[in-house]
This record gives sequence, structure tokens and C-alpha cells, in this order.
Amino acid sequence: MMQKEEKEILPSTIKNKEKRSEVHAKLKHQKKLEKRKKAKARDAAEKRALELGEEPPPKMVPRTIENTREFDETVCKPDDEELFAGNDADEFGAILKRERTPKVLITTCRFNSSRGPAFISELLSVIPNAHYYKRGTYDLKKIVEYANNKDFTSLIVVHTNRREPDALLIIGLPEGPTAHFKLSKLVLRKDIKNHGNPTNHKPELVLNNFTTRLGHRIGRLIQSLFPQDPNFRGRRVVTFHNQRDFIFFRHHRYIFDRKESKQTDSKGKEAEDAKGEKASQERVIARLQECGPRFTLKLTSLQHGTFDSKGGEFEWVHKPEMDTSRRRFFL
Amino acid sequence: MPRTTTLECPGCPSLRALTFDALGLIKVIEAKGSQGGAPRVVERWGELDSSKCVLAASINDREDDPLLAVARKTGMIEVLSAINGDICFTVSNANEDGPRPEDDAVVGLHLFAGQKLGLTSRSCTLLTCTTKGNTSMRSIEVTDSPAGSASIGSSNTWSVCSSGNILCSKVDGSENYAIFGGKGVEMNMWDLDNCSKIWAAKSPPKNSLDIFTPTWFTSSTFLSKDDHRKVVAGTNSHQVHLYDISAQRRPVISFDFRETPIKSVTEDLDGYTVYVGNGSGDLASFDMRTGKLLGCFLGKCSGSIRSIARHPELPVIASCGLDSYLRFWDIKTRQLLSAVFLKQHLTNVVFDSNFADEEVKPSVAADLPLNAEQIANEMEIRDEEETLPLKRKKASKEEERRKKKKATKENEGNKEASKENNGSKKKVSKENEGSKKLKSKKSKRSKCEIHDES
Repeated sequence: MMQKEEKEILPSTIKNKEKRSEVHAKLKHQKKLEKRKKAKARDAAEKRALELGEEPPPKMVPRTIENTREFDETVCKPDDEELFAGNDADEFGAILKRERTPKVLITTCRFNSSRGPAFISELLSVIPNAHYYKRGTYDLKKIVEYANNKDFTSLIVVHTNRREPDALLIIGLPEGPTAHFKLSKLVLRKDIKNHGNPTNHKPELVLNNFTTRLGHRIGRLIQSLFPQDPNFRGRRVVTFHNQRDFIFFRHHRYIFDRKESKQTDSKGKEAEDAKGEKASQERVIARLQECGPRFTLKLTSLQHGTFDSKGGEFEWVHKPEMDTSRRRFFL
Repeated sequence: MPRTTTLECPGCPSLRALTFDALGLIKVIEAKGSQGGAPRVVERWGELDSSKCVLAASINDREDDPLLAVARKTGMIEVLSAINGDICFTVSNANEDGPRPEDDAVVGLHLFAGQKLGLTSRSCTLLTCTTKGNTSMRSIEVTDSPAGSASIGSSNTWSVCSSGNILCSKVDGSENYAIFGGKGVEMNMWDLDNCSKIWAAKSPPKNSLDIFTPTWFTSSTFLSKDDHRKVVAGTNSHQVHLYDISAQRRPVISFDFRETPIKSVTEDLDGYTVYVGNGSGDLASFDMRTGKLLGCFLGKCSGSIRSIARHPELPVIASCGLDSYLRFWDIKTRQLLSAVFLKQHLTNVVFDSNFADEEVKPSVAADLPLNAEQIANEMEIRDEEETLPLKRKKASKEEERRKKKKATKENEGNKEASKENNGSKKKVSKENEGSKKLKSKKSKRSKCEIHDES
């Protein structure tokens, strides 16, 4: 922050490194003290207001990147009939309307080693009705043909680079779009502390924050991998949470519990299905146990039609010139 | 302070474009005003039905009852009025003994502006081409019955290719020739009067690695409106070929552009510039005399560009594609003028050039009082010169007869512009619509251009 008074010297104008770092450290210390003072004053004001029974001063909302996201006109509106018509007509409509049950074929790239097979076996346990076939040396286009013959609804290809899975290609069949994701931060089940073991029940699916049209389409693509009739008694949930164009994958088992809560400030625990019943100071919360892998995906391109590296046309492809703003997201 | 770089989009000049999308909707986008005009969707025609996805469209852009022909996936071809979207008539492209329209989709469609086959002015002629190569040219009488039916006049049907799929077709400016090309089908040019093939291309020789790329043309156009001999075609392997039928069968110039198939090629009015759009959203302009890239249009287009249209007068092009945006670009500066989000995958865009605004602009075609103003200005500027600049002529060439007389500076009085403009439905701000016939007795007219309309 620029000092307005002439007496203050900007550290960057001091050429001597030792002196400069001293001045800088002093400035930082001062700022820290001021910040702490302000925070204390705020807390004191709030407490006083509560004791006096008045309204506490309004809580300030921190500015975040999601708060200041650039306005995007492609955000889906809830009353958009073209959106619904498009949804009915698009490639996933048949699966999502339960006319076809999803059947997923998982395969890899040609060279597969180390964490790849482990990841695939975990994916097989996450996605119901998934089958794994070894890659061999088939062309991807041929694989698409074979899958169509055998009535699969989607094809997932896990791509490995330097003995780590790093890309995921989800192809909708018969002629659905192809989404290419970059995969990172993969944590396998055995590396998660206190992990649980998933069961065979059909999972619930949670898709968070897929707001734009592109996001909506990707959301439907992911939705078409899973069966549309979750088994709630199985208490198994798979979450794809989109934030800042990164899609976080988590897989949990949950259980509802009653918790005795004290007067005011017990906060309800974990995310989605927490219900608060204030009736008898007893709250129902959901406790989660993570099972299954944890990874993040980032969309690099969405191709219209099945995988075709040479002749494909793209619905959305990431170009570096789109990244000029830190507050612009596409999903 | 957020660190963002947002591109300020200058507005569009006043224009009107129609887009066609994969759900069968036709949207009319208009931009009003020369400064800060943001284009908006003003109308939407058609029902939301994806089986009626629009495959090809063509506009007959005359002043008087402009028509729009639209070919849908169901095999129906509808001809609508471009002003209000009412269906004039519907024709089915399917034959009884031919393949079903779902298998044999319409790929190219052209609505003839001139009169073919010697019919009355209440008829229109359509040329359609399907993927299997069945091309038919039929002329249809527009009857006055409101039911939207029409009686089909004469029609010719022939097959353009025996094997392979046609993917692109175009009719040239003089409307006598048409080219077709596709997957496994070399470019070939047909004479429409005789329905005979007059030229077929030959594939370029194998490259230095002896690799033969199979023929797969994805888009094509004629290089200039007046010359049917030069053809530009884009292929699936991201190459653009220029053919000259008077020279040789192999391409005269060919070059590479990025890495995805060339999905659309459009020529500019000057006869040597083309705009090329490919499957990953890159739009660039090339000079076809040398094959040099003039520049790319940068504007965050992330979806394949399905169709590019060049405005007949303004230096504006429109591109639309699978990312559901319609973008307007300025040709000279290659800058994005504005982008409109249209929610569906767009397949085609055409310009409607007869769009007059409330304030009359000199670039709008064919307005009587407009030309009067211009003539006034020019008379003051030029001395003793009678030549009308060719640009003006281009802007107002249809159905107009003007005599320009010089001599004096009594501007409005002595202006002659008599014009037959019956039935024009466009808004014209200053009236004077009737014909002002002033006989020119005095003096010198060194050069006058008279368009006679009978």
C-alpha cells in the first residue's frame, strides 16, 4: 500500500539490502499490530452489543475470488426453456431419462504402470456397472466401435504419464462428446487415514457449482456415468465439486447421528446432509467417512463427437488467451 | 483491486443477422446505432425441436420480399420471409424411391436470386445437395394460397458423386456454376444450365514422405463473385487449396492452417482475401494471391467455427459455431466488435443487408433520400465531374435507376433519382419515396450510369 505522507519512505527505494529489509520488516510488524488491534476492537464491539442486547454490528464479508467472479452471461438460468429443450435433445438425454442404464468401459493408454492399475481398480469400485479391459494396441477409434457394438454408454480412458495417471478422457457413446480432463492430486484409498470400504450399493451423486452452460453439459456427462436411481439406504455418496474450474472428486460413506448440543454455538458438522433440529437441543448430523480415491480434474477440451484427434471439432478448447483474467472461470 | 484485463468491445454498426442452430431455431440479431450498438436477439422463429435441426440455409437478399431458405434434418426445406419469419412454403426433399432423409441429409442449399428457367417473378429456385450426392434444382411457384403450399415447377435431379459423401457445396456469384466436394469426393464444378460437370480436381501429389492423405474436403467457396474459375477449398487435414480451373486440375496454391479441420471458408468482396475458420475456433484471413496469412482474429473463441458470413457492405464479418456465440469482427483491424451468446450450437449465419435504422446511414443499401444526400455532398466536392463513385454503385445496385446531373449547385432541386421501389418494406426515414422524375435537359453529363429496370 502506498504511503501518502512524504515522511514515509518506500522500502523499494532504498538500495542497501540490509537497511531495506529492516525497514520492510518494521512496516510489516506495524501492519500486523494494526490488524490485531482492529480485530480486537471488532470483537469487543460485538460482545458489548450482544450483552446490551442490541444488534451486533454487521459482519463483514471477506472478498474472495469467487465473490468477485467476472460476470458470465452463459450461466444457466432456471427458467430457460431452450436449456431444457437442449437437455432433452442432447446425447445424455436418453440415459438421464432412464431409458438406458449406464455401462462404462474403462481402459488405459498403451503403457500402464505403477499407480495406474491401482487407480483403475478403485474406479471400478466407485462406478457401478463398470468393466475394465486391457488396452492392448487397439486404436481408440476402434475401441469406440467395439464399445458401441457391445452397448456401452461411456468410455473412460485413463492416461498415464511418468508412471502416474494424469489425464482422463470420458467419451459418451454412441456419438457423444469427448471430454478431456487433466488429473492431479491423486490419493489412493490406502493412503487415506481411517478410510472406509465402499459397498456395492448405488451411490448418490452430488454435483456442486456447475453453473455455466459448459459446466452444465459437463455435469450431465458425469451424471451419465452413474445410475439414476441411487440407493439411499446404502449411504454412499460420490461428490464432484467444481470450484474455480477444478473439479474435486470425493467418495464418502455417511451415517446420521444424534448429537447433544449445548446452547448456542455448536455448529453442525460436515457438509451435505446435516439437518438441524432445535427441538430438544439435540441435533442430527451426518458423519462422513472417506473411502475411495480422491483426485481433482480440470477440463482441457470438450470435443463434439467421439474422439478424433485429427478431424475433430471442438465445442470448447482451452486457449491461453482466455486466461487473461484471474476472475474468469468457464465451468 | 481486481486485476483483470477485459477487452472493451466497441459496438457494431447497424446490422442484422440471422443465425440457425441445432435445435431448429432461427434467431434474428440486430444491432442498432453506429456507436455502442450492442447486438441483441430481437426475434426467434421456429420451435424447439432437435429433429428439425437446421443443416443449411441461404438468403436471397433483395429489397423486395427477401426470402430465406432453410433445410432441416427432417428433409423439409422451408422458405420463409426474412422479415417476419412467416413460412411461404415447405417442400420436402425426399423422393419416394430415394433414401430416407435421415440417412441422406441435406448438405448444401442455395436460393437463387435471379430467375432461372424462365419463370415469373413469383417463383423461386432452389438448389439442394445431399450427402449421397443427390442434387436437385427445382423451381417453385409461389401461389397465393395461404396454406403455404406451392406447386413445383420444373425440377432437375442428378447425382453429383457416385461414392463418398458430399460435405460442401457452393454456388457462384453469377449462379451458373456450382462446386461440390466432400469425403472421398474431389472438388468438381458443374454447369447448372446444362447439368454437366465441367471440371474435376486432382489431388495434390504425395508429399515428401510419400504419405497420401485421403481426400476430405470440408468447406469450399468461390474466390470472387464475378469469376467462377477460382475456387478455394479447405480440407479435413487443415489445408487450404486454391484451384484455378482454367489453369490445371491440381491446386495452384495450398497451405496449412493450424491443426484442426477447416470448417468454413468465406471470400471477401475484394476477390482475393478469404476468411478461414477451423475446428478449434481459430479464425484467420489469408491473401489468396500469395497464400500468406494476413492475421488471426483473436477473441477467445473456443468452439469450432461452423459458418462465417461477410456483410455485403460493411467491413464486418460474423462467425458462429459450436460454442454458441455469434461474434462480429471488424475486417481491417481484426478486432472483435461484439459477441452474442445464443445458447445452442449454431450451424449457420447469414446477413440481411437491407436493414435501415432510424438515422439513415450511408452504408445502407438503396435508399432514395440517402442517395440524394450523398449526391449533394459529392457535387460540392467534385467539380465538373460526373462520375459516380463505384462504391456507391455497389451499395445500391439492385433495382435502381439514377440519372445524375451536374451543372449547378442547386442541390436538391435538380436532383434526379427516379427509382422504382415498389413494395419496399423497409423503414425509410425521410420520405420522398415516390419517383421523382426530372428530365435532364441541361448540360453535360459526361458519364452517367443508368440502370434500366423494365
